[in-house]
Order: sequence, then structure tokens, then C-alpha cells
Amino acid sequence: MKNRVAITGIGIVSPLGSELPFFVNKLLEGVSAAGPITIFDPCKLPTRIAAQVDDNKLPLRTKDRKVGFAILAARSAIQDAEKFGSPLVKGERSGLSIGLGLELFSMPDMIDYLHGKRLIDFDPMEFLQTPSDVCVPRICKEHQLVAPPLIHISACAASTDAIGCAFRMVREGRRSWMMSGGTDSMINPLGVGGFCRIQAMTQRNEEPYKASRPFDRDRDGFLLGEGAAILVLERWNDAVEREARIYAEVAGYGTSFDAHGISEPHPEGEGATLAIQRALKDADVAPEQINYINAHGTSTPKNDIAETKAIRRVFGKRADSIPVSSTKSMIGHLISAAGAVEVAAAILCAQKNFIHPTINLETPDSGCDLDYVPKKARRAIVSYFLKNSFAFGGQNSSLVLRNVIK
Amino acid sequence: MDPTFETRFPHPLKLRGTGSIVAAQDSEIDVLPWLKYRKMKKFMGKQDELAVTACGLAARNARLSEEDLRTKTGLYLCVGFIPFERQEIETIARNSSDSGSFSMDLFSTKGFDEVNPLLTFRCLPNMPIFHVSLNLNIQGPYFITYPGAAQFYVALEQACIALEQKEIDFALVGGVADQNNFLVQHHYKRTRIGTKATPDAAGFLCLERNGTERVLLGLRMNYQTRETAQRERWADTEVKEHLGAASLAVLLDQSPQTGNVTHYIESVDGMQAESFWSL
Repeated sequence: MKNRVAITGIGIVSPLGSELPFFVNKLLEGVSAAGPITIFDPCKLPTRIAAQVDDNKLPLRTKDRKVGFAILAARSAIQDAEKFGSPLVKGERSGLSIGLGLELFSMPDMIDYLHGKRLIDFDPMEFLQTPSDVCVPRICKEHQLVAPPLIHISACAASTDAIGCAFRMVREGRRSWMMSGGTDSMINPLGVGGFCRIQAMTQRNEEPYKASRPFDRDRDGFLLGEGAAILVLERWNDAVEREARIYAEVAGYGTSFDAHGISEPHPEGEGATLAIQRALKDADVAPEQINYINAHGTSTPKNDIAETKAIRRVFGKRADSIPVSSTKSMIGHLISAAGAVEVAAAILCAQKNFIHPTINLETPDSGCDLDYVPKKARRAIVSYFLKNSFAFGGQNSSLVLRNVIK
Repeated sequence: MDPTFETRFPHPLKLRGTGSIVAAQDSEIDVLPWLKYRKMKKFMGKQDELAVTACGLAARNARLSEEDLRTKTGLYLCVGFIPFERQEIETIARNSSDSGSFSMDLFSTKGFDEVNPLLTFRCLPNMPIFHVSLNLNIQGPYFITYPGAAQFYVALEQACIALEQKEIDFALVGGVADQNNFLVQHHYKRTRIGTKATPDAAGFLCLERNGTERVLLGLRMNYQTRETAQRERWADTEVKEHLGAASLAVLLDQSPQTGNVTHYIESVDGMQAESFWSL
């Protein structure tokens, strides 16, 4: 028998704060988290803006930012899940499913290493260590997660995949509960430099708060963000039994490949269409039941059009009446953490009977003809909704979720 | 091994085909026959080439048709540590250093311009699975993970679940180990793997439902948050080469066994895993 799967805890570290009420209020106000890069001096790089986490307010700071973000988000998620009802049963058949960014090293450290500095002089947990070897055991140990961890590296789809796989493991009875989500920070010289080199990022340095403008005619690339989100997923019946607060239900998960281009999506959104269709089928939910879509919505010229086409292919005429919004318009693109933070954003807004806006959408592009909830949040009763994440390299991931209406 | 997480298949999964490559030298990897577009080779790092070659061999040996691959096959892959090539990192470093120290000013003007734009593609860990999907035209579901050798088993478990749930008809499950790399070797020194030979390797298994012979009977995994040295056994024999995440698929492809055999691996990330086969 398959289990229903409840989301009972949310922990975030985001460019719009790490306290859930603050985060959701900023989303509904349509606030941009973008600003000049201050983590390092970008000097003359073409892009000198990003959506940064204010880590001065965080209780844990690590040299590689994504490690600390993940640990803090996990702690917050457990606290949130245990805020109501009896505690989660630790140990037996619990696990972690997490989307992670790239290896840990800084360019100054790498240059020291290449110049012959001894290995012993480097922090073994910070230099050329994998995030999976650093933050995964820490989180598992702290929260007594005993199952083999599921580590996802599908880039921009990684944390959506993490939630999807955790959902399946709980649904099939292979795990009793799981922590799932993602963490990333590529706001460092090599990360920003690399994305600049392939001209993927916005260069609207003089107007950071207007830089991320998904679906807008004048968009010029994505705004890099950073952060983490961890959700607690557990068997619905267990959540009810321990009288936990249930935010939402994960209902379905689907993935696909574009098998098309290395950096560009299939122009007709073929792979994205497959992922959405598979998620709907997995959830046994008809397209007519979806009444909100949280888009991948990167603000890159090709993605926004391909995603729009995919939504049209799946939902047909009804696509005109489904609100679609992009969290990235406010917090930028969190890469391996993007999907999880955006799922959290959509759920928290839906719990308040709102859909957050797509800010900076002034003139929709000619290929972008859906209802993108421009500029202002909208009051709405959200029931079933869709979350899309599409990775560089053509991995497409979609989730179907059901908001638990209070 | 503490059998904490055990999967026994009521209907064993058939091993339909295997494919692998083990290369002591880069020149031994010939990916060109497997490429849909030869111009894509410049975008490929060594991991990508290893994965495409091994998966191409496995798909061919399993006699999967184009239609099978496109619509009925899922792809499950474990890759190794991120393979920045020394030459590319050194180029950035050389053009971004002032008196031996990193200079952001130089990086943003000179070093940045010297970065090969293709480096951004070659260093991403999801690129091997992209190149496999592109060249074999696979649109199915996926799971991609890294970097522990035993993490391959997590990918294998996900493939088995997808087959059992009838989400797919065929699963291509692979592991890639780009090991002749200065950063990977650095990592191995720290994790005590250094005593074994570490060739570059990749291997893929093709599995399907309802097998009667050459079958995967089950697998089990255990995870303890401690560091353990790499250790591997195949049919009660200690394995001499370290093949990382590629090890099971390479052994099944290149060291034929018969009867009931067990493959066991434990890796530095605290994972222990074993699988049970009737071959």
C-alpha cells in the first residue's frame, strides 16, 4: 500500500531572510533581494550583483557558505516540524535527500596549493572536500538520520529531485520520514566568473532590484542567488497521529531529459512537457485540477519561452487561466537550492491564501503570454499546484503538491 | 553487515547487458563512434567521454532499440569528484596571481578572460548524464548522484524502484570514475585509497523486470557517519584495482562469474553496500 506524504516542517536560509514569517511577508510585498556583491570584490567582472544571504544574522558561519546554510536549514526544519504535536521518531528508517552544489575550494586556496603550499596547511573540511562529505554526515548525525543518503547533483533541478525522491521513498514505505531539499552558493569568483564567461547572467549592475525579470521583454539573464531549504516529509498517517501541523501534501513527481542542448532548453519545451505530464500522472491529478504553477522562471531569454510553451502543451487553452509566478524574480537563482526554496515559498504563500508575484514584469516578451501574476501578490485559494525546475544540461523535474487549506 | 536497508525482489531483475571501459591512458578512450554530433566532443570532459562510451556499449550489448531508449529507459548514474583539469586551473591561476597570491583585480580582467568558456560545462557534475541522454537519445527519468563508490548502490536502488513501479521498462545504471586527475588524486591521498591502482573507468548495467537467469536477486545498504577506507570484494575475492563508482558494472562486464555471487563495497563516505546475483 502506498503512503500519502505530508510536509510538516520547513527550514530556509534565503536572501530574503531565514525566518518563515519574514520571508513570506517579503515575498508577498514583492521585495527584491538583489544588490551589489559584497561577499568578495567582483572588481571588473561583467556581473557585479547577486541576491546574497545576510550571514551576519546567522548563528553559524562556514567558509564554504552552502555547508552552513544546509546545517541551519536542517535545524530550522526539525524545529518547525516539532513545533506542534509530539516529536518525530528519530533513528529508525529516517533519511536525508539533498541537492548539492559543487566542490569546496576558493581560488586563493587553489593558488596557494598550486604554488606548493603543503596540504597539511589547509583545513581538510574546507579545501577540495565534497559538500556531500562535509555537510551530509553532519546533518545525518545531528538528526539521527540513519538511512543511506540520497545526494542529487542535477544542478538547477537538484533540490526538486531531492524532494521528489524523498517523496517516493516515503510513499513506497522505504523510509518513515525524510529531510529533503538543497543548498548552494556560487557567489564566489569562480562561480560568478564561470557564469559570466558563458553570458548566462544579468549585467544590469546599476539597477540590481530590476535585474531579475522573468518573462519580461528586457530580461538579460539570471540573477545569481544563494541559500538553502530543507523540508520534513513524513507519512501522512504518522503526521496526523502525532498531531503535527501539515503544510502540504506531495502528490506526484516526474523527470525527463531534453536530450537536446548543453545550455539551452528544447525550443518547444519537449522535455519540460514530459516531466510535467509524468508528475501529473504520478499524482493521478488531472491538468484541470492544477490552479497555480511556481515556474522555473529564470529570466533567461530561452528558458522562459520554452517553459511557457511546455505549460501550453500540457494545459492547452486552460493555461490562460492558471496563475504562474517566478520566485526567482525576487531571490534570484539559487541553482542547486532553487527548487526547494521555491517550493517553500509557494507553500508558505498558499497557506496565507496568496500567490506571490513575478516582480519586474513590465512588458511580457512576445513568446511569454501566460498570466504571470505581474508585480503584485494575488489573493487566491490554491489547492493542487505544480513546481517546475529545469537544469542546465536538460534535466527536467516537476512536482505536484496539494496545499492543505486551513 | 548490518542489514538495515535491504531490498529483495519478489521478481528478480534481469541483467540484460553490460558495457564498460577501463583506461590507463586518456588515448584509450574513443568516444567518437558514440557521438550524435562530433562537434560536441569539445564540450566533453573525461568523465563525459567515459560515461558515453560505457553506456553506449551497454545499450548495444542489451540490444535496446532507439524506441526502447527514447521512451522506455531510465538513466541512473553515479559520477566521481569534479574533474577540473590541472592545465585549465593553472591557466586561471597564472593569470590571476600577483606575487603568488590571488588577485581579484587580475582575475576580473586577465584571468577571467583566459578561462575557457567550455570549462564551465566540463566541470559540472550533471554533464556526464547530459551527454549520455543526448547521444543515446534518452528522454526517460533519471537519478544522478556522487561521489562515493558505494553511492552507486543508491543509484541502483532508485533504478530498481522505477522498474518495480513500472515507471520504466529498462534501466541503464552506471558509475564513472575519472581518477587520473590531480584533484582526485589529492582527495585519495587524504582518504587512504592511494595504495591501489586507480585507472579511469566507467561501467553500465542494463536491467529489466522479470528475469529468470542472470538476475539481480537483491541488495542491501548500510550507512554510518564515519570514515571507512575503500574496500571491495567480488565473489569472496579482494578486488585489487580501485574502480570507484564504476566497480560493480566493470566487474560484471569484464570478470564473468557464474552461480550465486555477492559484490560488497564500503567507501569513504561511510556507506557499505552489497548485491546478490545469480549469474
